[in-house]
Amino acid sequence: MPDDLVAVFSDPDAAAAALRQLGAASIHGVRVISPAPYPAVHLTGQPGPWRYLGSIALVGGLTGLAAATALQVVTSRSLNIIVGGKPIVAWPAFGVVMFELTMLFAGIFNFSALVLLSAVARRKVPAAARRLADSERIVVLVPAARLRGGAEATVRAALKHAVEVRS
Amino acid sequence: MSDSKITQIERDTLATMSSTSRLYWAGLAGSVILVAIGGWAWSLALRQGLGVLGLNEPVMWGALITTFVFFIGVSHSGTLVSAILYFTRSPLRAAIGRSAEAMTVITILTAGLYPIIHIGRSWLFFFVLAYPNQRQLWPNFRSPLTWDVFAISSYVTVSGLFLYMGMLPDLALLSRRITGWRRPLYRVLSLGFSGTDAEWTLFEKAYPIFAAVVVPLAVSVHSVVSWDFAMSVMPGWHSAIFAPYFVAGAIFSGIAMAILLLSGLRRGYRLEGHIKPAHFDLMAKLLLAMSLVMTFVYLTEFFMAFFRGNAAEIEVFRWRATGSYAWVFWLVMFCNGVAPLACFWRRVRRSLPALIVISVLVSVGMWFERFLFIVTTLAHSYNPANWGHYIPTWPELLICLGGFGWFLMLFLIFVKVFPSMSVAETMQHEHALSLPATGDEAEVTHA
Repeated sequence: MPDDLVAVFSDPDAAAAALRQLGAASIHGVRVISPAPYPAVHLTGQPGPWRYLGSIALVGGLTGLAAATALQVVTSRSLNIIVGGKPIVAWPAFGVVMFELTMLFAGIFNFSALVLLSAVARRKVPAAARRLADSERIVVLVPAARLRGGAEATVRAALKHAVEVRS
Repeated sequence: MSDSKITQIERDTLATMSSTSRLYWAGLAGSVILVAIGGWAWSLALRQGLGVLGLNEPVMWGALITTFVFFIGVSHSGTLVSAILYFTRSPLRAAIGRSAEAMTVITILTAGLYPIIHIGRSWLFFFVLAYPNQRQLWPNFRSPLTWDVFAISSYVTVSGLFLYMGMLPDLALLSRRITGWRRPLYRVLSLGFSGTDAEWTLFEKAYPIFAAVVVPLAVSVHSVVSWDFAMSVMPGWHSAIFAPYFVAGAIFSGIAMAILLLSGLRRGYRLEGHIKPAHFDLMAKLLLAMSLVMTFVYLTEFFMAFFRGNAAEIEVFRWRATGSYAWVFWLVMFCNGVAPLACFWRRVRRSLPALIVISVLVSVGMWFERFLFIVTTLAHSYNPANWGHYIPTWPELLICLGGFGWFLMLFLIFVKVFPSMSVAETMQHEHALSLPATGDEAEVTHA
């Protein structure tokens, strides 16, 4: 945070307008901390490792499928009793538990991925700035170290509607 | 959006947590009393045996399994409706999504009690779980009852995580707002969520994936419960229509319960600004549509039975409508098929007292509908020499009543400890409404 300009906005629209101005001035690396998913959080180019989420859920689903298959086949063979005329390994009957565990594991992996990747992603934003955000306060961080020439004046102009600007 | 508007939203959405009315305490006290009575009745069954429950040849499944199926049905629609509202970007979701999801988790926890009570030696319930044991005994994976254990366990886990995932931004907010013993609780439960843009991006990408997992799981769980019956060869049960029939019935009863809970929250916590007549209007339309589906299913069941010409099947359906449980049959037809038709009228859909009456009738109708098909098939099966009659004993009824108390008690505790409406989603929704109708900002992307 020592290298960042920290602007606190009370109005989500003012924060969004500031981010648009910063974007128009090609100021990159701007970060937002917001209590709700206001438009401002969508104006920083979708940072974070979210592209892995779908793959992780898929891996979870396949893990669940494999676990259900192994559990049913191995334990049914171990018990080795024919019930109701069904074969020991009865794929149509096993399909239900295979489906349930596929979805269960996909969900658990998805949730775990969200928690872990969020923990990784938030480390890139200083804790002091994160603490400033509240239900009535949206925080915009501008990397001041990258500002050159007249850029700082542009940034100050963009942040003019902030209730507080710290550097 | 002004500061005062944000403060107002926060105050409204956290109203259930910040103020406690006499009505709340009365509801909580009433539900605790019901739980105590139900618990005492259960203890009677544990001490004296299942004989006190009135379950005997030929009706081995009675009021307890009826209540189990009823609560599974109610649980079904909460998460399902919430996920569907999410995908359809419905403005309803901000107001009712959280309560509906909580209702799902609580009802499924309630439903899960009944098979455990029903087995008699409840402390041995873990025999149904697949765990390594010294005798190499494993559950029979070809049995629908084992499927049920997996389906319900998966559903309660995923529904719980879905509810929890949606609450993360609110828990983070609460960890800053609330003081006292709850503050460290919320801090731990928020898992460090702090609202950075990267976290919101992750959240908004992960949430639809989870919702896509929840929808098929919700449909599957009630299908699997229906297969507990339909996979048998019993007349009145062995039918391919059972899975969609159960799913439709589940959504139907779930909407009725959601209307009852939301009307209570709206009245008790003055949430008229967020839970609006238009929301009830939409739910009433859905209730009406599901009622028509249910009527169609009832008629189809009869048509199939009589067209097929199986004597046992025809006899069961004839007996349902004209035998000793005929009053239950006609009560079900009235509550589920006739009473909701009043929702064709806009005035009824916009009248909360009328909707409450209809929802109560639907809830009663759906409990008795489960009772009807379970009991009549068992009591009037293939062998006339084995026909019987079942009336629940009073300990059985008290255990069922205790379940309703348990459900209400957990829900009331939930709304006291956690926000009953999504704060982040409501703020986002209200912000979107405050913008001009055109432009990128007006697009609502749900939390």
